Amino acid sequence: MTVNKKDVLLSLRDLEISFGEGKNKFVAVQDVNFDIYRGETFSLVGESGSGKTTIGRAILGINPTSNGTITFNGTQINKKLSHHQEQDVSRKIQMIFQDPSASLNERATIDYIISEGLYNFNLFDSEEDRLQKVTQIIEEVGLLPEHLYRYPHEFSGGQRQRIGIARALIMQPELVVADEPISALDVSIRAQVLNLLKKFQRESNLTYLFIAHDLSVVHFISDRIAVIRNGRILELAETEELFNNPLHPYTQALLSAVPIPDPKLAREKKLLVYDPKMHDYSVDKPSFVEVKPGHFIYANAPEEEHYRQLLDEQAQGVN
Amino acid sequence: MTENILTVKDLSVGFQVRGKELKAIRNVSLELHDQEIFAIVGESGSGKSVLTKTFTGMLEQNGSITHGTIDYKGKRLSDLKKDKQWEGIRGKEIATIFQDPMTSLDPIKTIGSQIAEVIIKHQGKSKAEAKKLAIELMDRTGIPNAADRYDEYPFEYSGGMRQRIVIAIALACHPNILICDEPTTALDVTIQAQILELIKELQREYKFTTIFITHDLGVVASIADRIAVMYSGEIIEVGTCDEIFYNPRHPYTWSLLSSLPQLAQKGGDLYSIPGTPPSLYKDIEGDAFAPRNPFAMKVDFEAEPPMFQVSPTHFAKTWLLDPRAPRVEKPALIQNLHERFEQTLVKDNQLDQDVKVEENLEDEEHDRK
Amino acid sequence: MAKKNAAVAAEAIKPKAVAKDEDFVLVSLDKKATEIIDTPKYSYWKSVWKTFFANPVTIFMLVLMIIILLMSYIQPMFSGYSLLDVKGVNDFGARYNWPSAKYWFGTDADGKSLFDAVWAGAKTSISIGVIASVIVTVVGVIVGAFWGVSKKIDRIMLEIYNVISNVPMTLIVIVLSYTFGNGFWNLIFAMTVTSWLGTAYFIRVQVMIMRDREYNIASRTLGTPTRRMIFRNILPYLTSVIVTQVSQLLPSFISIEVFLSFLGVGLSSNVPSLGRLISQYSPYMTSYPYLFWLPVLVLALITVSLYIVGQNLADASDPRTHM
Repeated sequence: MTVNKKDVLLSLRDLEISFGEGKNKFVAVQDVNFDIYRGETFSLVGESGSGKTTIGRAILGINPTSNGTITFNGTQINKKLSHHQEQDVSRKIQMIFQDPSASLNERATIDYIISEGLYNFNLFDSEEDRLQKVTQIIEEVGLLPEHLYRYPHEFSGGQRQRIGIARALIMQPELVVADEPISALDVSIRAQVLNLLKKFQRESNLTYLFIAHDLSVVHFISDRIAVIRNGRILELAETEELFNNPLHPYTQALLSAVPIPDPKLAREKKLLVYDPKMHDYSVDKPSFVEVKPGHFIYANAPEEEHYRQLLDEQAQGVN
Repeated sequence: MTENILTVKDLSVGFQVRGKELKAIRNVSLELHDQEIFAIVGESGSGKSVLTKTFTGMLEQNGSITHGTIDYKGKRLSDLKKDKQWEGIRGKEIATIFQDPMTSLDPIKTIGSQIAEVIIKHQGKSKAEAKKLAIELMDRTGIPNAADRYDEYPFEYSGGMRQRIVIAIALACHPNILICDEPTTALDVTIQAQILELIKELQREYKFTTIFITHDLGVVASIADRIAVMYSGEIIEVGTCDEIFYNPRHPYTWSLLSSLPQLAQKGGDLYSIPGTPPSLYKDIEGDAFAPRNPFAMKVDFEAEPPMFQVSPTHFAKTWLLDPRAPRVEKPALIQNLHERFEQTLVKDNQLDQDVKVEENLEDEEHDRK
Repeated sequence: MAKKNAAVAAEAIKPKAVAKDEDFVLVSLDKKATEIIDTPKYSYWKSVWKTFFANPVTIFMLVLMIIILLMSYIQPMFSGYSLLDVKGVNDFGARYNWPSAKYWFGTDADGKSLFDAVWAGAKTSISIGVIASVIVTVVGVIVGAFWGVSKKIDRIMLEIYNVISNVPMTLIVIVLSYTFGNGFWNLIFAMTVTSWLGTAYFIRVQVMIMRDREYNIASRTLGTPTRRMIFRNILPYLTSVIVTQVSQLLPSFISIEVFLSFLGVGLSSNVPSLGRLISQYSPYMTSYPYLFWLPVLVLALITVSLYIVGQNLADASDPRTHM
């Protein structure tokens, strides 16, 4: 897959998202900066409370932002938009939800659920055209046309998630925010869903923002990965770079926590525990710095020095 | 070599739903060895939780054992009906930890008092002694500043800390069997890894037998002694941890291993099991996995396969092991599993080697054979 | 139980199907075969009615309710009962008859049959209850739904609600009755003019609970307009809640009518109603108790049957009971 690095689809600058006001103000996300290129899969990995879902929802306009900009296709979208712009953005950015049992309207047929977006934007010429589009997408996600007249609760978790994918992708979006789309699914079903997402990306040059809590899952699917903790991005790099040279201690802890499905190695594995107190940021304030082209890390000056040194040693070791 | 602490024979469990009988467990037999970690792996609806609920008499109202026996230390658990008969066994001899720690904690009582209560009830200690023991247990399960946090309430604890407390409560009555029903599924990955370590350590110390239920085969590689794989209410393969990972024989186990994301190769597709698991309302004929099995034979749709013995400890329920079956190799992806991981892992961890070495000291012996 | 065990034992003894040698051949996999759902098609309302009619108490109450309704709306057509009719007042044989085969519910001081009076009165009372409930429910649900989803509307409506909900409804009815005069439609206007606010507030709370559920957020990301969200996503989930609300409103409006007529406000003096009968006959509580107690009994049967049928319908319309 060729990713044209110049073509930025989505750009987040100094993004801050807070809830509440005054004394109760809680900053969920701060100083978030990244670009997502057209056609790539960008993963945002963090644990619960890291703010990853909040960022995803801010991009979709569900959570209001308190500072910074979100730019999509060159237009800032986290401000008041004209009706026309709003329609355009809302069709082009779609979302796939984590819990397939909560994200489908239980009182509607699958036909209506998948067609919902088509109705909203009048994306069909006639009733036959609509039915043809819906039938086509349901077959593409591996379900049967006869399923259209059934209700969500009649389906298994994996099938429901595929319905959720169908309803997002029938809109022919440019960017899809996939918020932990497989973590509520059984292991045997996860691969199906990931493959399906990949297939759609190949076919229509989709861009994904993939939100996950587990590095093992995103290794396979993503081009670049950002690791987020407590509302801050700690490390960002291309997938192979991040897995080969994880620099931030938190990234290392996350990597070491991935279960190894091999008994011999798993028994020997040592778990790394991350303690944020290890950083001394009292004097030297940290910032998000680029230590190697495309490899960013949240560090202060001495740490940056240390990380650069590690990378140098690593480069020499390889040669 | 080992003593059996629990024996299940031909167990079937049915549920009455909308006037229909739903078969959740079909003819399951298993033996639980003393002080082992026995993992039960299966997807939702495979019956893994239902199976262990029968060990503590906690089946839902509309469920019942329709066939078979459960024997625990000379007691026939499958004959116990009333809650009164279960007293002294449930919680005390066989304890369970659930996925969501809040289901087992009382939100309006302090953490400490909840542990102490169990100690007073089951060990007959005085209040002061119970408090001391409770703090010790909290400390042992990895709660920092246990004495200070004794009087805090569950909402003041994080998810991982709550699960540690649930473990402490379960251990307070020194159970012989600890059933862990997906204890880490709701937790973050880094916390999951810590809880797994904790269970492993505590088991060595307190010498109980663990049944570990999970849907993720990857999780149990580090802790299980033996693994049973369940599909659609049956155990379809059981063996030692090494046997299941390095020499799996059932096509479903192959699929489970192959679809682990850790094995995925960049650029290509992930291995995926086609289709959807059968609904429990369906009557199953032949091999339940046949409709999703890329190696299905005609016979799989007609007759239920028996348990074939692969080694003294390894059994699999698939017609592929019948001498008449064509020879089928396990998928290339999971051959040489160990070598494959050795390579990728070394590559991944080049950088943090220096951090790791010193920390390896306390953890010397894993072999409890 | 014994029968079930026997069946299981038989199954275990039955020899397993014999595997034939020629069956050990690999077959190709139909990838979509396991996607088929072969349970019968689900229909929400079909399941509701099935659950509803499965309860014998419901059926009994429903039959009782239908009998009462039929009597109330058909019997007065033939009886020609009129409240102002006093032609029997001088016929001593017709006055104060205790219930008998001729006069099922007896007769009053004017020699009028109480049986006729009760059904004519019930007709008015039930009509008032039904019409008022329909108005309050329709207005309340629609306003409440928009109130729950829109923050702007919420701010205005909360103010209105806080002011009006503190004024007792009876006071409003009494004031309005004096202003506009007594009468059937005036009474309904007086009863509904503020009480829809209570229903609307109740629905608002329910809508707010539903509003941020994930499937509604999903609809928002698909660009679904508010109006469609209300009618397709939220109200269908509230069916059960709305039915419960109606089943409480109906009997309470009937009781309010009775109470107001008892006080002498509301209906014009020529309109019979259960409330008027009870008020008119209350002096006879000791001398001719049937005159007082029979209308009360009919009132009780009406409210209880409506309430129980409504509650059970509400239960049945909650999909969690469709097991």
